[in-house]
Amino acid sequence: MSLLPGKKSSKPPRYSAAGLIVKGARKQNWPRVWRDVPLKKSYDVVIIGGGVHGLATAYYLAANHGITNVAVLDKAYLGSGGSGRNTAIVRSNYLTPEGVAFYDRSLSLYNTMAADLNLNVMFSERGHMTLAHTDSALRTMNWRAEVNKLQDIDSSVIDPSEVKKLAPSLDTSSNARYPILGALYHPPGGTIRHDAVVWGYARGADHLGVEMHQKTEVLDILVEGGEGSATDAHDGKGAGGKVTGVRTNKGDISAPIVVNCTAGWATLISDMAGVKLPISTRPLQAAVTEPVKVFLPTVVVSGSLHVYVSQTDRGELVFGASVDPFNTYSVRGSLEFTEELAGHVLELMPGISKMRLLRQWAGLCDMTPDYSPVMGFTPVDGFLCDVGWGTYGFKAGPVSGEQMAECVATQMTPKLIEPFRLSRFSTGALVGEKGAAAVGH
Amino acid sequence: MLLVPCPNCGPRNASDFAYGGESHVRPNPNQATPEEWRSYLYMEDNPAGWLKETWYCRSGCRRFFTVERNTATNEFREHPIPGTKLGGKA
Amino acid sequence: MSNSMRLPAQPGEVIDRSRRIDIKWNGKKLSGFDGDTIASALVANEVRVVSRSMKYHRPRGYLTADFWDPNGFVQVGDDPNVRSGHRLIEKGMTVDPQNVWPSLDYDVKAANGLVGRFLTAGFYYKTFIKPQRLWPVYEKVLARFAPGGVVDLDTPHGLYDKRYAHPDVVVAGGGPAGMAAAIAAAEAGSKVMLVEHEHHLGGHLLWGSAEDRALAAELTAAVETAGVEVLLNSTVTGRYEDNWVAIAQRSHPQAIERLVKARAKMLVVAPGLIERPYVFAGNDKPGVMLSGAVRRMVNMYAAKPGSRAVVFTGNGDGDAAASDLERAGIEVARIVDARNGENILAAHGPAKSMDSVELADGTKVEADLLVTAVGWTAPTSLLNMAGDRPSYDANAARFFPNSPIDHVLSTGGIAGDGSHEELIEHAVATGRLAAARAAAIGHRLQAATRRAASVDGEAPAFAADDRPILPRDPHPELFRSTTHGIVDYSEDVGSKDLMAAAAEGYDSVELLKRFTTATMGPSQGKLETVNTVAVLGEARGETIEEVGTTVWRPPYAPITLGALGGRIHEPARVSSIQPWHEANGVTPILAGAWIRPEHYGNPESEVRNTRANVGITDVTPLGKLDLQGPDVPKLLSQLYTNKWMQLPVGSVRYGIMCAEDGVVLDDGVTGRLGDEHYLMTTTSSGAASIWEWAENWLQTEHPDWKVHVTPVTTGLTSINVAGPKSRELVSRLVAHAGDGAIDLDGEAFKYMQVRQGTIAGVPNCIMWRIGFTGELSFELHVPSGHGLHVWEALLEAGKDLGVRAFGLEAQRIMRLEKGHFIVGQDTDGLTKAPSTGMTSLIKLDKEDFAGKAELAWAMDTPLPVVVGIQTVDPLIVPAEASQIVREGTNEILGRITSSRMSPTLRRSVCLGQVAPESAAAGTELTVVLTTGERIKARVMEHHAHFDPEGARLRG
Repeated sequence: MSLLPGKKSSKPPRYSAAGLIVKGARKQNWPRVWRDVPLKKSYDVVIIGGGVHGLATAYYLAANHGITNVAVLDKAYLGSGGSGRNTAIVRSNYLTPEGVAFYDRSLSLYNTMAADLNLNVMFSERGHMTLAHTDSALRTMNWRAEVNKLQDIDSSVIDPSEVKKLAPSLDTSSNARYPILGALYHPPGGTIRHDAVVWGYARGADHLGVEMHQKTEVLDILVEGGEGSATDAHDGKGAGGKVTGVRTNKGDISAPIVVNCTAGWATLISDMAGVKLPISTRPLQAAVTEPVKVFLPTVVVSGSLHVYVSQTDRGELVFGASVDPFNTYSVRGSLEFTEELAGHVLELMPGISKMRLLRQWAGLCDMTPDYSPVMGFTPVDGFLCDVGWGTYGFKAGPVSGEQMAECVATQMTPKLIEPFRLSRFSTGALVGEKGAAAVGH
Repeated sequence: MLLVPCPNCGPRNASDFAYGGESHVRPNPNQATPEEWRSYLYMEDNPAGWLKETWYCRSGCRRFFTVERNTATNEFREHPIPGTKLGGKA
Repeated sequence: MSNSMRLPAQPGEVIDRSRRIDIKWNGKKLSGFDGDTIASALVANEVRVVSRSMKYHRPRGYLTADFWDPNGFVQVGDDPNVRSGHRLIEKGMTVDPQNVWPSLDYDVKAANGLVGRFLTAGFYYKTFIKPQRLWPVYEKVLARFAPGGVVDLDTPHGLYDKRYAHPDVVVAGGGPAGMAAAIAAAEAGSKVMLVEHEHHLGGHLLWGSAEDRALAAELTAAVETAGVEVLLNSTVTGRYEDNWVAIAQRSHPQAIERLVKARAKMLVVAPGLIERPYVFAGNDKPGVMLSGAVRRMVNMYAAKPGSRAVVFTGNGDGDAAASDLERAGIEVARIVDARNGENILAAHGPAKSMDSVELADGTKVEADLLVTAVGWTAPTSLLNMAGDRPSYDANAARFFPNSPIDHVLSTGGIAGDGSHEELIEHAVATGRLAAARAAAIGHRLQAATRRAASVDGEAPAFAADDRPILPRDPHPELFRSTTHGIVDYSEDVGSKDLMAAAAEGYDSVELLKRFTTATMGPSQGKLETVNTVAVLGEARGETIEEVGTTVWRPPYAPITLGALGGRIHEPARVSSIQPWHEANGVTPILAGAWIRPEHYGNPESEVRNTRANVGITDVTPLGKLDLQGPDVPKLLSQLYTNKWMQLPVGSVRYGIMCAEDGVVLDDGVTGRLGDEHYLMTTTSSGAASIWEWAENWLQTEHPDWKVHVTPVTTGLTSINVAGPKSRELVSRLVAHAGDGAIDLDGEAFKYMQVRQGTIAGVPNCIMWRIGFTGELSFELHVPSGHGLHVWEALLEAGKDLGVRAFGLEAQRIMRLEKGHFIVGQDTDGLTKAPSTGMTSLIKLDKEDFAGKAELAWAMDTPLPVVVGIQTVDPLIVPAEASQIVREGTNEILGRITSSRMSPTLRRSVCLGQVAPESAAAGTELTVVLTTGERIKARVMEHHAHFDPEGARLRG
């Protein structure tokens, strides 16, 4: 297989304040953020899914490994899935050493992303607090803090008075129905402008020669020599097969490597290659309020109350909760989500009852049994997965892209993603994040 | 809120029910290979379409039942049948 | 000055001039009349600037003067973002402008407007990149520019409420079409709920002609006669699955806001149309108003929005606005008719007002009011939520609903145009269709409910839609003039911004929206969406049809968190003994749904007393399931890992339950009370889930087994009596002869046995001998009505024995001394049964049990192990969750899961999970304290630190 570095396109103008002034004074427009080019007949790598994961994979393939004959396909527009629907929280205070190492790498990539990609992704390192309302929750917070400290992650358990100082809107009195007994505080956590991350990677990848194709839907994955898929034993798909390309609504593309970077549709894409996944698809809902003057400086999460909240620089409160109670591919929001959310938020912050909910939406999450992703090779040669991201895919975007790119380029599983291989579901070696299952975002 | 068709109580709010997930046939624990057993434990069909699944009428008659639902539209099909498959694994 | 812009009495006015109401605006007193909105009161008092725009802080006046006005957000007391075009004035109301600094009249941030050319939409993505460490500083500055009102964090949680409703038909919109549909449906026998967003029924008829007002009055009267329930000042905020309809009722007499949840068999959507602004230079100047706004102001509120007007019209409403103005004595300097190809270019004037309008033919007309009437946006939100994707009709210059949806119908302006007669005819047909379908749905629902009364007769057919089709009036496509102006008023996004963004590649509606934030603001895109699409179409050289539109997401109108949350009432459970706990200095602890006694002042002394004398503790939250039937042993064998087929009557046994993946789910003891009668106890947190787990096996895998499972957790109050003197204490309360007698002799009633009888005069008590604390102990399960009595009787009878109550903390200390693990604390979501060390309880020779397959393989797999641990320095208590690491590294080998200073042993005692290679007794461990200090500890031979042989509890 040839993965020769492609020709890099000429560098477009860099973004800067000076550039803004010059363009403004000359009344000029900026060049296109990514090119709009026709789909070719073949690529070295086809990435399915134009979200943070797919675009980051493409970017790092080009930037770190010189592999630029790459197409990123999205059935809608870039960032139309989970990348544009999440609540944009980033953190690395996970429970297991493998989780911590992985997300810490992601956070450090987020930290330098603006400079790396020359686009302000508005990373706001505002601190991240996970509240504990019961002694068992507090014990889990301590567990996370202790694991984090051993890996040099800034993470500690703080008491209610410190919680109050960081977020005065919280009810830290002891007579609350769900009293705040303490919190896991993680100063490096925060929020980021999720769409900007999408555009930054897309623009960066474009500059290096990668092609982005929107409204390009994958209809089938072309596989030869396999033992057959679940629905058809003679279709040549499944274990032992080899990928030859993909069929799209804009024609067939040949490619020796196809990477599934979708969320919400991971099962449907993998089915096309005959690879079965341990995934159930559930919607995760979110909502925002009307803007008010900023009063909440940190990200606040309550696992017991299934709610997380942060306030944007624009003044809106952004809320999220846990995934919906049953599998579905429908992303219509529900009223009961907003009712439960509001009830729980008012338990935490009784003073905001007069704020109004402005908009609610949902995104699809691919849930796995151990709250950890499925990454790397599959039984089909040339078909790789970066899926099963549950409710935490956005946080992992940069590192996933970096590692998946390495996986594709070296044809070896990088150490950081070894725990997440698909085969763990037949050996039973699940990842321990389930131990902290009660704690979401 | 979705109306879930309980075979006894009729269509009721989904919040009255617990969701049991896809209905899978439980292999014989004495004969299953690790691969078969773990496929039962972990693997999901997860179709975007008709899915046979288990619900538990938690706030009503407290019966488990199996029903078909289209996961793309949330429409239910046929009359539900009292459950014969273990709903959920834990 | 007061009411200086109030017109003489208007025939359709809704204000009551006999009732003057004083309010405070921006610190100054002014007065209006009962029935005035804040907006009409301000306009009548010559207030022209009511807010500043979000980004450039441009002065803004009323544009639509209704709920959707993007310029009309004000702070009313502690209520932020109040829609002043909708909220009625009340006595003593304090109204302030938002987003102004230092004041509405002089706003320093307006300087942003001067550099607007450089602050194009999305400018922040291109700057503040280097040095990156300065971004947090910039961020703080940007945050200060956040729009919106101020939240008073001391706002009390007032009365909010919820209501469930089960109407046959909900009609969203109380204009002529909505009213006619509601009347028709009610007359056809439906139970109808009519929801009107505004304060009056009538919709646009209210600001129309005398004939319009007469029709409104006639329909309003008919609505009442027909028995329709009317909710005024209420909004259908969402249509969710299976017609679950959310209504925000702002007009409840007591509740600040009430959420009505209606399971509507049919929903009729009749919201009318929302007038769309026109994009041109200066279109956000105070004095530029839409025709509907002007007509409402003049006709309903007799408020004079200006003195000399230019009217730009493309339709009959614009024409009507011109004649309304003239009738009210306001000079109309010029009518610019778009239907004749005339156009406007710009509104000009100093910062805070308008003095002239520039027309396309080059003339400038002096005016302080520019009225535009360029067409409509169809508010199809509720239809979108039901799955409809509207499509654009260029001839009518607006979107229309597309696919028919069985349970949701639309009528009125959203569905088409026509004369009053045609629209009413369509609405009546819609109401009848809704009623017919509701009847069919009702019949079907009842038939599907086995427990409901059986239904009469044949199922009515689901009526076909044979309504007349409404005509669509031609309308010129008027979106943008040849000049650039504001498209999204609440986000300060102009047509130039949109075009620049499109040229940069953000050229699909969704990307454009995300990049520029157009349509994302508090106006929810009601006014901006179609213009955004139109400008994008211009930029791409495509039609609106080709560009498509965005998805309207719920809620249709913003709703308070208070209403969504409702009354905050999440009940906590307490046992029947709670009054005693509270009277005796309890420190409570929240444990799941329960509030439990943590201790009564000194848990160590509670431990010492229990070990020396006798203690009693309230363990009511312990899950309890009453199991009856011939096949209970089979069920127990299926759920637990150990054997249950031979348990004799009168015995109890301990067991562990696993999920199908072999992970420990729960543990507890189950006793056999009679031939076919058992009592199972579970952990407190497992009480509900284990019940369902048992039912699951019984109903799905083994429907042939005859077992009844009844949860009795709260029916029985559970009291553990523990300590060397516990037998003496209990013997003083049990009946010794006759019915209910219990022989407490150690030989007659052994460890792990159960008896039933009378305790403290209470018959039908269950008592078993177990030993979670490690002491001789009797666990009593007493009918809850007598729980407090038995508790007090124990304390009274045991005074001389030194009996004292102990709490959860003392119990935890004692169980840890004894080495009993707690599921969920010493085990976690991946702990398989062999890790607990209880391998003798895993009986792989049974035919089947939950988790068997995995446990068989797990027996041969190295797994983490739960072990007893003691620190080398007996005085150091490592905090729970302290990590155990490989010496000299940060490699994690395990963790401390439980730890306490033992009052009995006067040293620290722990349980922990360690890697299998570190699990052998005597292994030296390195424990990292929370301070970072590393200490030594040792793996013990037993879990039990105290009385490992169990001599005390068997005594």
